[in-house]
Amino acid sequence: MRYRLGAVAVAAVAAWLLPYGLGSYAIHIVDIAIIFALLAMGLGLAMGIAGQINLAQVAFFGVSAYAVAILTAKSGFGFWPAAVIAILITVAVGLLVGVPALRMQSHYLGIVTLGLALAFTNWVTNAELSGGAEGLSGIPVPPMFGIDLFSEYLYYYLEIVVFAVALVFGLFVVRTPIGRRMRAMRDDPLAAGAVGVEIPQLRMLAFAIASVYGGLAGVLYAGLIRYVAPETFSLANMFLLLAMVIIGGRQSLYGCVVGAVGLTLVREALVEFATFAQLAFGAIVVLMVVFAPTGLAGIPARIRQVATRGRSTLARAQLQPFDSTSHMVSSPAADAPVLLEIQDVTMRFRGLTALSGVSLTVREGEIHGIVGPNGSGKTTLFNVISGIYRATAGRVVLDSTVVSRKRPYELSLLGVARTFQNLRLFSTLTVRENVLVSLDRTRTRWAWRYALWPIGVWRADVGLRARADAILAQFGLAEFADAIPSALPYGIQRRVEIARAMGGLPKVLLLDEPAAGLNAGEVDQLAQIVRAIRGGGVTVVIIEHNMGLVMSLCEQITVLANGAIIAAGTPAQVVADPAVIEAYLGDASIMDDIPIPSPTEVAG
Amino acid sequence: MQLFFQTIVGGLSLGAIYALVALGFSLVYRTMGLVNFAHAGVVMIGAHVATAFSLVAKLPFALAMVVAIAITGGVGLVIERVLRPLENKDFDLMLIGTIGFGTVLEALAILIWGATGTAVASPVRTAPLEVLGIRIRTYDLVVLAVAAAATVLLVLFLQKTKRGAAMQAVAMDHEAATAVGIHVGRSNAIAFAIGAGLAALAGGLVGPLLYVSPAMGGTLGIKGFAGAIMGGFGSIPGAILGGLAIGVLDAFAAGHFQGYSELVTFLVFTLIIMVRPTGVFGERTVSRA
Amino acid sequence: MTEELRVEGLSVHYGGVRAVKDVSFRVPAGQAVGIIGANGAGKTSTLRALMGLAPRSSGRIGLGDKDMTGVRARDMVRHGLGYVPEGRHVFPGLSVEKNLLLGAYTQNWRRNTREPLAEVFELFPVLAEMRGRLAGALSGGQQQMLAIGRALMSRPRLMLLDEPSMGLSPKLVSDIARVLVRLRDEGIGLLLVEQNAKLTFEVAGECLVMENGEVAMSGRSEQLRHDPRVRRVYLGL
Repeated sequence: MRYRLGAVAVAAVAAWLLPYGLGSYAIHIVDIAIIFALLAMGLGLAMGIAGQINLAQVAFFGVSAYAVAILTAKSGFGFWPAAVIAILITVAVGLLVGVPALRMQSHYLGIVTLGLALAFTNWVTNAELSGGAEGLSGIPVPPMFGIDLFSEYLYYYLEIVVFAVALVFGLFVVRTPIGRRMRAMRDDPLAAGAVGVEIPQLRMLAFAIASVYGGLAGVLYAGLIRYVAPETFSLANMFLLLAMVIIGGRQSLYGCVVGAVGLTLVREALVEFATFAQLAFGAIVVLMVVFAPTGLAGIPARIRQVATRGRSTLARAQLQPFDSTSHMVSSPAADAPVLLEIQDVTMRFRGLTALSGVSLTVREGEIHGIVGPNGSGKTTLFNVISGIYRATAGRVVLDSTVVSRKRPYELSLLGVARTFQNLRLFSTLTVRENVLVSLDRTRTRWAWRYALWPIGVWRADVGLRARADAILAQFGLAEFADAIPSALPYGIQRRVEIARAMGGLPKVLLLDEPAAGLNAGEVDQLAQIVRAIRGGGVTVVIIEHNMGLVMSLCEQITVLANGAIIAAGTPAQVVADPAVIEAYLGDASIMDDIPIPSPTEVAG
Repeated sequence: MQLFFQTIVGGLSLGAIYALVALGFSLVYRTMGLVNFAHAGVVMIGAHVATAFSLVAKLPFALAMVVAIAITGGVGLVIERVLRPLENKDFDLMLIGTIGFGTVLEALAILIWGATGTAVASPVRTAPLEVLGIRIRTYDLVVLAVAAAATVLLVLFLQKTKRGAAMQAVAMDHEAATAVGIHVGRSNAIAFAIGAGLAALAGGLVGPLLYVSPAMGGTLGIKGFAGAIMGGFGSIPGAILGGLAIGVLDAFAAGHFQGYSELVTFLVFTLIIMVRPTGVFGERTVSRA
Repeated sequence: MTEELRVEGLSVHYGGVRAVKDVSFRVPAGQAVGIIGANGAGKTSTLRALMGLAPRSSGRIGLGDKDMTGVRARDMVRHGLGYVPEGRHVFPGLSVEKNLLLGAYTQNWRRNTREPLAEVFELFPVLAEMRGRLAGALSGGQQQMLAIGRALMSRPRLMLLDEPSMGLSPKLVSDIARVLVRLRDEGIGLLLVEQNAKLTFEVAGECLVMENGEVAMSGRSEQLRHDPRVRRVYLGL
């Protein structure tokens, strides 16, 4: 920590002294570089952290600069009032551009944002208000308590202060809950929604943040150059910005800054050979993307990875047994209230009927099994319950509330948690961070606290970490807290997924084939964990093929075949039902060596 | 009323060009799952090469086109080979890689042919036809015919040949494709080359309709792309319909809004995509999370 | 023709994890050998490494008198290896018939596909009924049959099957077992990787039991079937 403070102090002193050694042309370049650094950080936050393709960043830049120009040169506003209004307008545009992001991602979003950027250029080149192709000049020098900001040296200090605040804020966002949720959303939007991340709000927030940075850059640019023209906000500059972020490292704010400053300097050095420079940038982006996707900022991490291969502490970490001593284990009373009810649900996909008229009831405190041959619709049913699919007909009722049309994150906030058949952990987040994402139940609408009350956010995060560590300890995962999931054995990853699901303190936990791929010892541990989870008051619904596990664990079983229920009841009843034997077991003698548990065994 | 139909006819020929561009996009996407932002640059290179060979080397138009398609196909092969390590691994990165290539192609064009463009005369010198009071330039008919022929050939290739089936298989499951003996890299290269060839065809055909310059790739590519998306990305009939629709939409916008035509086109496009993101025939990509 | 598969000293590393450590075994011509063990034991990694789909850090592979160590994944089919991947991996957007034809990609479609296709349809009548349907619309069991049929189209001498019973009901599992036994009896070699030991003992005369990337035990199925160690740990009972 002391080392870091020292480095910051050195950097601050260096930044303060920089202009003294530079000529007037050089300081102009530095001023431009800082503006691009702001833009690059905004783009990095949207693209690298939140995973939203944002090819309209240059348009945010332009909207802000043009707004300042129009308000000051044409409408006689003072610079600073114009600046504030300009940033507000830019954020509004940013939210507007973010609206498509609610419905589409990746290349679709890319083309829409690109198209909107082009539309902006098109408007600005043609409109009288914006001065057409010649642009607007006559923007006044920003007044600053008697300091003459006409001087580019003094303007540098204004910029460096804004930049420092923006950088610190950006770093703060990345390392706190919102940043974590954005990274989770980037890694796996489906799983993020299932643990309660409010995907739509977060996407809009990403665009809003990007537009704030773009707005700041535009204001500074207007005050520096005091002339705006369409060429500055063209597609060519958008691609340059993209190059900065990719070469520097889009997932690191420092990387974005380094990329921005570096490319601005290189571009200036090569101004005589502008086309060659363009060729070089394009070629380097291609090479980076293939050989160094994390950019320059990612190189230290890759060196570290190669250097410590095989010698990591991870190799010696041990999985501890699940701590179930703090829970009582009991099966529910027969008249326990109904927690989850599926009413006549039908699910059709383009002609294929995956579920037809499925109705089932799950009581509070139950461990309810769902079995059936492959393709019978079990995972589809889970997807309907957890909001990933919207049922074609029928209703899902949770605790007397109809939840059929709710999105996954809404269901998560109402107390539904789930695991996935093919394991969906957040790949760039540590085990602890994976749990933190579901633990953190604050809504995105409290995001304003980041700007106005950061201390509160920080303190809350410290509290969250303590709770996350408690959950990890309970699940025996304490020694793996800082590991990346892909480095861990399969069985341990499975347990992390359950721990993450439990982080949200759900009312009902949906487990989708949790025993797949586990050996007998691990299956026993799983059964113990499930019983303890139920003992803590959580209702469990479990899809499984492992008949031995299902029979010994579940009080109630529902059997699906071809999208319809063919039997439901206690294990003893279901196993004896001829329809079940026919459709699923095929031959009753297959079960001969698996003992059918008596009722007392099931309770224990 | 006559103006209405005239505008439609005018929009259809440029629309056919957009359709070819859209076809190239859709093909590469359908077989490689890749959105190729360098496609616009490839169209532009195709236009330049065709123009260079027909004006400078005085080759007959059709022959110049063939040469352009061959050379541009080669460019496509280079792009695929370089980006091959990313295939099936990270689409966002591959997308950015193609953007990088697009920049490189534009810079190359400026270095080779200069930044100012050339006007290309129409290779067909017959008088325009008059049907029901609407003027139809013969060249427009040529463009439509060539585009239609190219589409039919493409569809036959995909549905009826072994390589076509292999290309589709690679798109769906590249590992299973490898296990049955398909050379995935080569299949992708062919897809890319065909996509580039279509782009070159579009570029070569568009010469007489627009001004040939290194900057032309930008709007052509984007409109073709928008056409592909509107019709449903990855769908061949969708690409045709989408491209034609964008061409007609563009023609109407240019007639009514002049300089603002691109703005209008894009706003309309964005609205359509928001309402129906899958396009008319396309895949389901609406994220419900 | 004696096409025997010989594997010596096979090791597979994924990043820092050693999935397979120094595994050696043989599959005699026309016979069936099984590899069983829990998930994470390295069974699937072994099979994928044989096919060239996973990186081999060491080991030699021989098929007949040919050294296969340097052969690429896409050329394995040409040497007579048929592969049925874990999870089926049919081509969902193509018809059942197209899927099968692609199994014979390395052959001339006009000349060498009519007979194999007829044989596959005879083996799996339900596929013949659904020949025009898109493979993605088939149920799990049907897709498994399609995957096996696709591998058969190239007339392989040795088939590598990766957990064909996964996700299937016990009834379908016994159907698959019957098909595999029939293929074995027709002289096609089988290397069957499975978690379901019961199925494997039925089909394969010899089995290896893998644990933590190594071969823990091996022997005749009749003996392993009654070995208490196997029963307790790997049958999940």
